[in-house]
Amino acid sequence: MSTLPSIKILTNSSLLFDVSHYREQHILATQKKLWALSQYCKNTNEFIDLVPGMNSLTLYLKSASNLHQWQNTLTKLWDEVDDYAFESQHHKIDTYYQGEDLNYVANYHKLTIDEVINLHSKEIYHVLFLGFVPGFPYLHGLNSQLFTPRRDNPRVSVPKGAIAIGADQTGIYPEDSPGGWHIIAHTDACLFDVTASNPCLFKPGDTLEFVPVKRSKQ
Amino acid sequence: MIKVIKPGIQLTIQDLGRVGFRHLGVSRSGSLDAYAHIIANRLVNNHDNDAVLELTVGLCELQFQCDTVIALHGADLNAKIDTQAVYPGWSYPVKAKQTLKFDTGHGGSRAYIAVKGGIECPEVMGSKSTDLGAAIGGFNGRALQSDDIIKITPYTQPWLCNKGALTPPKRKVIRLHQGPHHELLTPECINAFCTTSFTINPNSNRMGVRLDHNNSQIMQHSLSLHSLAVAPGSVQLPPDGNPIVLLNDAQTTGGYPLIGHVIEADLHQFAQFRTADSITFEFVTLEQATAAKSKLDAHLSQLKLSLNRYWTN
Repeated sequence: MSTLPSIKILTNSSLLFDVSHYREQHILATQKKLWALSQYCKNTNEFIDLVPGMNSLTLYLKSASNLHQWQNTLTKLWDEVDDYAFESQHHKIDTYYQGEDLNYVANYHKLTIDEVINLHSKEIYHVLFLGFVPGFPYLHGLNSQLFTPRRDNPRVSVPKGAIAIGADQTGIYPEDSPGGWHIIAHTDACLFDVTASNPCLFKPGDTLEFVPVKRSKQ
Repeated sequence: MIKVIKPGIQLTIQDLGRVGFRHLGVSRSGSLDAYAHIIANRLVNNHDNDAVLELTVGLCELQFQCDTVIALHGADLNAKIDTQAVYPGWSYPVKAKQTLKFDTGHGGSRAYIAVKGGIECPEVMGSKSTDLGAAIGGFNGRALQSDDIIKITPYTQPWLCNKGALTPPKRKVIRLHQGPHHELLTPECINAFCTTSFTINPNSNRMGVRLDHNNSQIMQHSLSLHSLAVAPGSVQLPPDGNPIVLLNDAQTTGGYPLIGHVIEADLHQFAQFRTADSITFEFVTLEQATAAKSKLDAHLSQLKLSLNRYWTN
């Protein structure tokens, strides 16, 4: 990681901090630094929003007058920031592996259902960033043996709590939404609850694992 | 209280939006024409962020069940209180049982109704704005329907303010900050973008305005980017070459190249474009964008000053 980050002015009051030109194998290490950088910036109370993307962080300033100052200090901060300073939370997600497409995914990869469940549930996943709908985590860590092309016909409605695989990604649907991923499981975990003090279960940088459980009662 | 007789195409409760949650995937929402929103509130001496009603295209009918004062701003949709015509940029006392009715109009798409004291509803994640996608905020997270009852506090004192506010002209040239992905797009593409006249696609909504044009072949590409943050004002260029200007209800991250970002002073214009309206784009410097914003702010300050004498008496 010798190259410098690119810092671009988006508007009078927003900056794009971009390290997407870094080599692919550093995805997680890079993302950890971005979360730490985001946390540092948040603590200054000078930002309305700090939004991580894939190998980028977009910074929305409260005051346009600080734009150039931040533009000039971000590279230095990037060198100094300690990715271990970032405090993540680990989540265990009770998972019912009885998804509508579980058989399809197993057949596609010539695996047994138990092998699919094992491959999916043995990994620790990182929440790279959120988007699409409130609380939807883009996860890093899917075993390459489970990479599955998206469905040819997206479902009009994927139910809330569905756990699905699309290409090299896996994710959990926080609400009923259209979707083209293969549903392999379901969870009762609530990813987005506006009445809670922390409305979203996950924040960028959190880790999670899928814990296989049997449905004991309906 | 206000009873909805007819909501029209889309009637929602909006304040200036939900901020601080974009990293969790929560959109801003809020009035698309923030400028009209603020002026309407100032005309009835509300706080700028007080919730108002945003109505789309017209054909809406509301019945007041208590006395209050209202102000209209944004699109002129030929509104009447009972039989008396009322206009954007003015405040009007309303009596219980009177009806506010909107026809349609030619001067824009969205009208804003500020009610003295603001529209009342619970705050969700710090805002009263309706987020239609996430189904939160406003009136149970949805657009208003016939027979819904909107909560307001009655205002029965005499209303003496007779000052109005002008509606800013529509712009045909929208000013942009240069996007972060210019070097990935071809010079022909950028050049076509700057010289093409775009028309507003009917398939536009609170999430974004889609643009049609004749040069989409030149502007087509096959770039696929890592997802990055997007915001109201971001101009995406999907592979088909037809740009999308993202608005308040847009999702928080996306993977299309960003060709530009609408300057803050011009973003409210997109609330008012109608299908088949045509626009062009022009890239400006940070200084020009700041100057445009200052000009708008000065207009708002001037309005505040001229209204102040009514509120202090």
